[in-house]
Amino acid sequence: MAKLPRALLAAASLCAVIGSYFSGSDFAANLIIWVAINVLMTASFRFVLLIGELNFAMAGFVGIGAYAGGIATTMYHLPLALALLLGAAAAGLISLVVGFVTLRAKGAYFLLVSFAFTEVLRLIYSKVDVIGGNSGMIGIFPPAYLARFYPTIVVLVVLFFLFVLYRMERSDFGKILVAIRNNDDLVQTVGIDVHLTKVWCLGIASFVTGICGALLAHANNVISPGDFSFLVAVYTLAYLKVGGESHILGAVLGAIVLTLLAQYALGFGAYEHIFYGAAIVIGVLLLPDGLFGLAQRMLPGRRRPEGSGS
Amino acid sequence: MDIYVQLLVNSLQIGAVYVLFSLGLTLIFGVMRIVNFAHGEFFALAALLVAVAVPWLIDFGAPLPVAYGLAFLGALAGVLVLGKILYEFAFRRFQRDMIGSFVLSVGLALLLQGLYIEIFSSASRKLPTLIEGTLRILGGAITTQRLVLCVIALLVAVGMYWAIASTRLGKALRAVSEDHEAAMLQGIPYRRIALSGFLIGTLLAAVAGALLAPVVVIGPVIGSSYLIKGFIAVVIGGLGSIPGAIIGSILIAVIESVGGYYFDPSLATIAMFVMVMVVLLVRPAGIMGNG
Repeated sequence: MAKLPRALLAAASLCAVIGSYFSGSDFAANLIIWVAINVLMTASFRFVLLIGELNFAMAGFVGIGAYAGGIATTMYHLPLALALLLGAAAAGLISLVVGFVTLRAKGAYFLLVSFAFTEVLRLIYSKVDVIGGNSGMIGIFPPAYLARFYPTIVVLVVLFFLFVLYRMERSDFGKILVAIRNNDDLVQTVGIDVHLTKVWCLGIASFVTGICGALLAHANNVISPGDFSFLVAVYTLAYLKVGGESHILGAVLGAIVLTLLAQYALGFGAYEHIFYGAAIVIGVLLLPDGLFGLAQRMLPGRRRPEGSGS
Repeated sequence: MDIYVQLLVNSLQIGAVYVLFSLGLTLIFGVMRIVNFAHGEFFALAALLVAVAVPWLIDFGAPLPVAYGLAFLGALAGVLVLGKILYEFAFRRFQRDMIGSFVLSVGLALLLQGLYIEIFSSASRKLPTLIEGTLRILGGAITTQRLVLCVIALLVAVGMYWAIASTRLGKALRAVSEDHEAAMLQGIPYRRIALSGFLIGTLLAAVAGALLAPVVVIGPVIGSSYLIKGFIAVVIGGLGSIPGAIIGSILIAVIESVGGYYFDPSLATIAMFVMVMVVLLVRPAGIMGNG
C-alpha cells in the first residue's frame, strides 16, 4: 500500500482514539464502542472467509466471549484485562474443538452446521441458571476507575487486533489460507495439513471474536441469550458485503457506515430487518466489491494490479 | 401402547409438512446449486395470504370451504409470482455460486420478513376450523383437519416423487442436478429447467404453508423455525438428494415429537443439532449424499 494511505490510516486511528477519549459517557461514547466492536467482528468474520467459509458460528463465539468475560467480572471480580483475555481464550479454545469436528464439512454444510451451533448455544444459555437462564446476566461493569476510559480502551484494543489480523493475512499463513480457498487439494499436495490450518484459522478468528464479546458485555452491562442469535452473524455479513470483502479496510468501512446509518434509520421505527436485508441485497446485487471496491475504482491512480477478490 | 401410537401419529403430522418443505429446498439446491435461506419466506407468505384472505372472503359471504379453496389458490399464485420475481432479479445471476447465493438469500429473507411485519402487522392470527371432529386410531387421537392435511401433504409428496422419477421434466431435473453440463450437452435446456425446478420448489413451500394455515397460529416470522428444521433435514439426508430429504424430515419429526414428549421442546432441538454434527462427522455429505 502506498505511503499516503498509511499515513491517512494512522491519522484516522489517532482521531478515533482521541475522539473516544473526549466523547464523555453518553450516547456518543456508546456509539463509538458499538462501531469499534462491529468493525472488529466484521474483520474476524472476514478472516474465516479467507478460507472460503461463511462462519455463522461467529455469533455463538461472541456469546461465549461475552458470558466468559461477564462471569470473570461479576463472579470472580477479576481485573478487566483478565476478563477480556478469558473471554477471548474461552471462545478460541472452544472454537478449536468445534472447528476440528465441523471443518471436515465445507461450503453449504459448514455454514449450516455453524449456524446450528449458534442456535444450540443460545438454547443452552437459556437453560443454565448460573448465568441467568433466559433473563441473562446483569451488572457487568468495567471497574469504576476505568469507566471514564472505556471507549478509548475499546478503540485501542480493536485497533490492535485489526493490525494483528492484517499482519496475519499478509504473512505466509495468510497466503496458505487464501490458497485453501482457491484450491484446497493443491495445498494438500504440497504437504500442508489443510484441515489443521483451517482449524487454526477459525481458532484465531474466534479468539478475536471472543474479545469482541467480552468488550460488548462490559459496554452493555447486561447480556441475555437473545443478544447472540445468528442475526449477529447476518448483520456482520451485511457490514462485510456493503464494505467489500477484498480488503480488511472494506470490513472496517462497511461496519462504520452501516452501524451509523442503522442508528439513524432505526429512529424511524422498527425497520431493522428491512434495513439490513436491503443492505445485503443491494450490496450483493449492485456493489460486488462493496464500498471499498467503489472507492478503489474512483481513485484510478491507486488501482491495484492483482485481480479483484472473489 | 397408546402413547406410542400417539407419538407415531404426531410424528406423521409434523413430518408431512417438513417433507414438503425440505423437498423444495433440496430440489432447488440440486438444480441450481443455491442454498435458499429465503425458502421459509415463501412458506410464510402462503400462510399469511390464506390467513388474510379467508376472513376477507367470509365477510363477502363465501361459505367456509369455498373461502378456503379460493384463498388456497390465491396464496399459491401469490407465492409463485414472488418466486418468479426473486428468480429473475436475483437468483438467476447466482446459480452455482453457493456462498454468493446464500448471502443474497439471507438478505432477501431478512428483507421479506421485515416487509411482512410491515404489511401484515406482527399480530398472530388464528383461522376458523375447516373440518370439525377428532379421529381415534388404535388409541391415538388426531383432529380430522390435521389428518386431512397430512394426507394431502403426503399425496403431494408422493406425486412429486413419482413426477421426478418418471416424467420428462423430472428426468431433466435429475439430469441437471447430477451434472448440468452433461445435461446441456444432451440438449436439455438448462435455463428453463432451472426456472422450473426453482418454481416447483417454491410451490412446494407454498403448499406446505397454505396447508398449515388452518391448524397453526400464523405470524410474519413463522418461516424461520420451519426453515431451520428443513435445513437440518436436508443436511442430514444430503443436500440435493430427494430420498435424503424425506428420510431427514421423518427423522426430525420423530425427534421433535418423541423428544418433545419425554423431555422438552428445546432439548429436542438441541438433540437435532447434535445429530447433524454426528451425521456430518461420519458422512460429511449427508446420509444419501455422494461426494
